Amino acid sequence: MSDQSSINLPQIFVILLVGFLLYRWFFISSDAAGSRQSRQNGARLNPAQVEQLSQMFPQLDRRQLMWELQRNGGPPPSFQPQLPPLSSTSTGARPGAAAVKPKPSHPDLITRYNLSSKVGSSAATEALPAGASAGANTGKKPAWSQNKNERQQLLQRRREEMILAARRKMEERDRAGAGGTA
Amino acid sequence: MATSVASKRLFTEYKHLTNDPPQGITAGPVTEDDIFVWEALIEGPEGTPFEGGVFPAELKFPKDYPLAPPTMKFTCDMWHPNVYPNGNVCISILHAPGDDPNHYEHASERWSPIQSVEKILISVMSMLAEPNDESPANIDAAKMWRERRGEYERRVRENVRRGLGL
Repeated sequence: MSDQSSINLPQIFVILLVGFLLYRWFFISSDAAGSRQSRQNGARLNPAQVEQLSQMFPQLDRRQLMWELQRNGGPPPSFQPQLPPLSSTSTGARPGAAAVKPKPSHPDLITRYNLSSKVGSSAATEALPAGASAGANTGKKPAWSQNKNERQQLLQRRREEMILAARRKMEERDRAGAGGTA
Repeated sequence: MATSVASKRLFTEYKHLTNDPPQGITAGPVTEDDIFVWEALIEGPEGTPFEGGVFPAELKFPKDYPLAPPTMKFTCDMWHPNVYPNGNVCISILHAPGDDPNHYEHASERWSPIQSVEKILISVMSMLAEPNDESPANIDAAKMWRERRGEYERRVRENVRRGLGL
């Protein structure tokens, strides 16, 4: 009885070891084969990808895109094929864009804030500081109001005053300049 | 939660800017119903071709402000090396730390929650006076500023006058 068991124990151990190695061999080899196959699938060209890339880079021909895809096995997140050097047409477009720019694309501040009624007549320019002082010390020291609408109006008035003051200053400078030359 | 932190902070900054506005700067939300969109007016610094001008800009704050910086866009014709032709301002204080792969800017110059709207606007004001030639946003303006300063200044002055409706 004890004799049999002493023979069996190493046998069982060997069988377990061989079994484990066999299992491992099958497992690893099947896994490697699987991954190899998936790599091959990836390397095969996907027409949808080629189409997408040709839309992104219309200046490149499809042959080159296919080649890039094949080499990289699909587009990486930052796909950037070698672009041909900028042609003279694209550099020629830049002065055109610059020539378009100078035309004012934004309305001036007077139109934008509807200040035309407060500009021009000197009476209006007099009335504005008067109005500011009428609002007690709010003109001198802009105070924070607890009321939401009041705050909004206060901010708007500060904006308008800033613009009108700048405009008045510029006009004065113009007049001084004209007086100096005359 | 993050939104309420952001709006509370923006409200505090708005209050501070109203009670103690820096010289030549007016800023506040376009409407308090949406505190994440502001409008700012910046006066051109004296002794520069921008002198005498008032320049409107729009500030848009992210929902996770002050962790992330706002964006700033001039809503007037702005001819400046560091302002994109569409009006977007390119200045280090508006860049989140870690944004600059070229390491032109020190981390201390970039955005961090201890910065504020006031500091942005003051930085932009000094940017008007002293363009940063290292990383121009408007290449044509940068070139003109570098090579034909007279023409650059004339063009800026024209924009100033046009902006005031003159």
